[in-house]
Amino acid sequence: MNSLVEWLTDLQLEQGHLIRPIIVGTLISLVCSVVGCFIVLRRMSFLADAIAHAMLAGVIGGYLIMKIVFGREAHLVGMLAGAILAGILTVALIGFITRVSRIKQDTAIGIMYTGIFGLGALAVSIKSIGGYVHIDITHYIIGNVLAVTNEELWLLAVVSSLVLCSVILFFRPLQITSFDPVMAASIGIPVLAVDYLLTACTSLVVVSGVRVAGVILVVALIITPAASAYLLTDRLNRMVLLSAFIGILGYWLGFGLTIAIGSSPGPTIVVTMTLIFLLILLLAPRYGILADWIRRSSLVPQEVMEDVLGAIVRSTGNVMAIPQVLQAVTAPNRRVQRAIRLLARRNLLECEADQVRLTETGQAEATRLVRAHRLWETYLAQTGEASERIHEKAHQLEHISDQQTVDYLDDKLGHPITDPHGTIIPVDSVQTSGQQDVKASMLRRGNRARIEQILPAANRLGLSVGSEITVLPRSVDGQTWNLKTDRGTAIALNHTEADALIVRPIPTDEDEGDAIPASDVS
Amino acid sequence: MIREQPTTESAISINHLTVSYGPVPALLDVTVDIPKGKLVGIIGPNGSGKSTLIKAMLGFVKPDLGEVRIFGREAAAAKGMVAYVPQRGAVDWDFPITVREVATMGRYGHRRWWQDMSRRDLQIADQALAKVRMTEFASRQIGQLSGGQQQRVFLARALAQDAEILLLDEPFSGVDAATENAILEVLRETRQQGRTLCVVHHDLSTAAEYFDYLILLKQRMFGFGTPEQILEPQLLCDVYEGNMKVFAELSGTRSAGDRSP
Ligand SMILES: Nc1ncnc2c1ncn2[C@@H]1O[C@H](COP(=O)(O)OP(=O)(O)O)[C@@H](O)[C@H]1O
Ligand SMILES: [Mg+2]
Repeated sequence: MNSLVEWLTDLQLEQGHLIRPIIVGTLISLVCSVVGCFIVLRRMSFLADAIAHAMLAGVIGGYLIMKIVFGREAHLVGMLAGAILAGILTVALIGFITRVSRIKQDTAIGIMYTGIFGLGALAVSIKSIGGYVHIDITHYIIGNVLAVTNEELWLLAVVSSLVLCSVILFFRPLQITSFDPVMAASIGIPVLAVDYLLTACTSLVVVSGVRVAGVILVVALIITPAASAYLLTDRLNRMVLLSAFIGILGYWLGFGLTIAIGSSPGPTIVVTMTLIFLLILLLAPRYGILADWIRRSSLVPQEVMEDVLGAIVRSTGNVMAIPQVLQAVTAPNRRVQRAIRLLARRNLLECEADQVRLTETGQAEATRLVRAHRLWETYLAQTGEASERIHEKAHQLEHISDQQTVDYLDDKLGHPITDPHGTIIPVDSVQTSGQQDVKASMLRRGNRARIEQILPAANRLGLSVGSEITVLPRSVDGQTWNLKTDRGTAIALNHTEADALIVRPIPTDEDEGDAIPASDVS
Repeated sequence: MIREQPTTESAISINHLTVSYGPVPALLDVTVDIPKGKLVGIIGPNGSGKSTLIKAMLGFVKPDLGEVRIFGREAAAAKGMVAYVPQRGAVDWDFPITVREVATMGRYGHRRWWQDMSRRDLQIADQALAKVRMTEFASRQIGQLSGGQQQRVFLARALAQDAEILLLDEPFSGVDAATENAILEVLRETRQQGRTLCVVHHDLSTAAEYFDYLILLKQRMFGFGTPEQILEPQLLCDVYEGNMKVFAELSGTRSAGDRSP
C-alpha cells in the first residue's frame, strides 16, 4: 500500500496531470456515494440509470444550443445545464406517464430513457448535425477521467460542494421523506420539493460521475458503495459516512489499478467497486452471507434437542450409545452432536465414554415429550387423520405444545392410557411426583394419593378430605375410574367426578404401568 | 329555563370529500364531523378507502372535491396537529433506523429543519418509548422487532408528536392479545387527555367495546354513530355484502351486548 502511494506520487511528479484525476475522482466518488444512499433506500436506482442515459441527449442539445445561439464551441456550462435539464425532464415525463395512465413506473422509465438516449444518438448520427458536433461522444459513453481539464475540475468542485451542502443541510427532511412521506407531509415538510431536490442532486452527481465512468456505468458509482454500506450498518448517518468512505476507497484502488495495468479507468473503477461490494456481501458482520450461514448452522433447533431426548427414552429407558443417537435422530450429525453437548450443559443428560445417560430432569423432560407425542397421535387418530401421516404430524405438534395444551388434550381425550398403536402414554412424572396437587383422573393403576379437596361434582361419592386412596384398573374402555379407599371400599367414578377429586399423589418406590417399554416404536 | 347544551366541538370535519387515484374514486362524497376527545373506529372491508381517508385527514392526498378541516383549519394548513401511525405494510422495515430514532422523529415537527433536536426533545421521545414499554429495545433496528413491538414504536412516535389528533391505521393487526390490550390502554389514556383518536379497525367483535363512535365506510359513508347504531345487521349486510365471517363475528357482538345492555 505504502509503496503504491509512493509510486503514485512519483508518477504524479513525473506526470503532473495525474493529480487532477485523483482530486476530481475523489470528489465525484464522494458525492455520488453520498447521494446514492438515498437513491438505494428509495429504490430509485433504475431512475438514476435513466437520468444518466438521458443526459447524453442533454449534452448534445446543450452543445448545439451554445454553438448555434451563442456561437461558442464545446461550452462546458451549457452542456452541463443541458444534461441536468434532460435529467429533470426525464423524471418529469416518467412521473407524468405513471400519473395519467396505467403504465407502471419501471416501464415508464424504460420507455423514456431509451427514447431520450435514442434522440441524442439519432441527432449525432445525422451527417449535417454530426459534422457540427465537435465533441468526443465516447468520452461521455465510457468516461475518461484522465482527460479532465482544469476548467472541468473547478466546475466539478463547485457542483460537489453544492450537492454535499444540500445533503448535510437537508439531511433530516431527506431522511423522513425517504422513510415515511405521509408523516413528513403531516408535519409540514414539502415532500414534493424534497423529491425534486433529490432529483436535482441525482442529476448533478450523474453528470459529474459521467466524467469517471460514462453514462453506461455511472450508476455503479452511485449505488454500489451505498449498497455496500447498507449491508454494514443500521443507521442512516453511519451509512452515509461509510458509503462515502467505500466510494473513495474504491476509486483510489480502481485508479491505482488503471495506472498499474494500463486499462480504461471507468470500467476498472466500477469493477473494483463491485468486488468490494461482493466482499462485503460475503463478510458483513450482520447482513453478510457468511454471518448468516454461521448463525444458521450454530443454531441448534429446540426440535433436535427434543428429538435426542425422545430417542434416548424410547430406546432403553435412559442410556443410549452415541452412534445410535446419531442414527435415530434425523438431522445432520454435527448438529445432533452439538445438541448433545447443549443438553449435557443443561444437565439433562450425562456423557460417559461413547454413550449418553438421561439425568432425572432429562428423563422427566423426555417423558413429557413422549406423552405429548402419543396424546397427539391419539387425538389425530380420533379426528380421522390418515394413519400414515399421524406419526409425522404428531412429531411436529409435540415440539410446539406447551404444558397447557397437553393437559387440555389429555382431558379432552378422557385421559387415555394407551395410544392408537396400543403403547402406553406415560403420565407426566412432574405432576404426579407428589410435589403438587392433581386431579384424580390423572392417576394410573397402583398409584396412591391423599384427598386434598372435593369439588361439588364429586360430593355424592361420600369421600372425605385427608383420606387415602389407591387406584385400581379402569373399566369400560378406560372411561370409568375405580378407586379403593383406605377402608377397603371400591368406588367407581366417571370422568367429571374423577376431575372433581383433587389429590396429592404419594410417591411409591415402584412405578407400575408408567415405564415405557423398550421395544416401543412410536 | 334554558338547559345548557354541552357544545361538542368538532375536531375533524370532513365535507363532501372525494378522492381518486385513477378513474375510480377511492372516496366519494364523504361528510362527517368527528367530535373532540373521542375514540373513533373506522371500519369497512378491504380497499374501502379507510387508509385513503386517513391520508386525506393528514393532508397527504389532495381531494378532487370537498375538504377536510382540522379544528376549523384546512388539513394542509394544520401541520403538526395530526399524528399518524402507518399501516404495517406501508413501512420499510429494512430502513436503517433505530427505535429511538423513530420516536425522535415525532419531534421533527417541533423544530425548524435546520435546528438540532434539543435535549428536551430526546427526553420526550424516551418518555414516549417508556410509555409503550419499548425502552429496552431503543437501539434496535426496527426490523428486528416483533409485530406488536413494531406497532408500539410507531405509537411512541405519535405520542412524542404531542398532537391534538392521532390517526392509527390498523394498529391491532398482527398483534397478540396482550399487546392489543396494552395499546388500547395507551389509546384510552390519550383520550383522557382530551385528544381525539381515529383508529382503522378490522375486528367487528371488539369494535363496540373499544370505540365511542364508529365510521362505516365503503367508498361512500355508510354511517357514523355509536356502535349500537352502526353494528346493525342490515347496514353491515349492505357494506360487507353478506360476508359469512362478518355475520359470525356480529352475532358474537350481539350476544355480548345483550348481556350488558
Ligand atoms: N397509491 C395508490 N394508487 C392507486 N390506487 C390506490 C392507491 N392507494 C389506494 N388505492 C386504491 O384505492 C382504494 C382504497 O384503498 P385504501 O384506502 O388503501 O383502502 P383500505 O385502507 O380501506 O383497505 C383501493 O381500491 C386501492 O386499490
Ligand atoms: Mg388500509
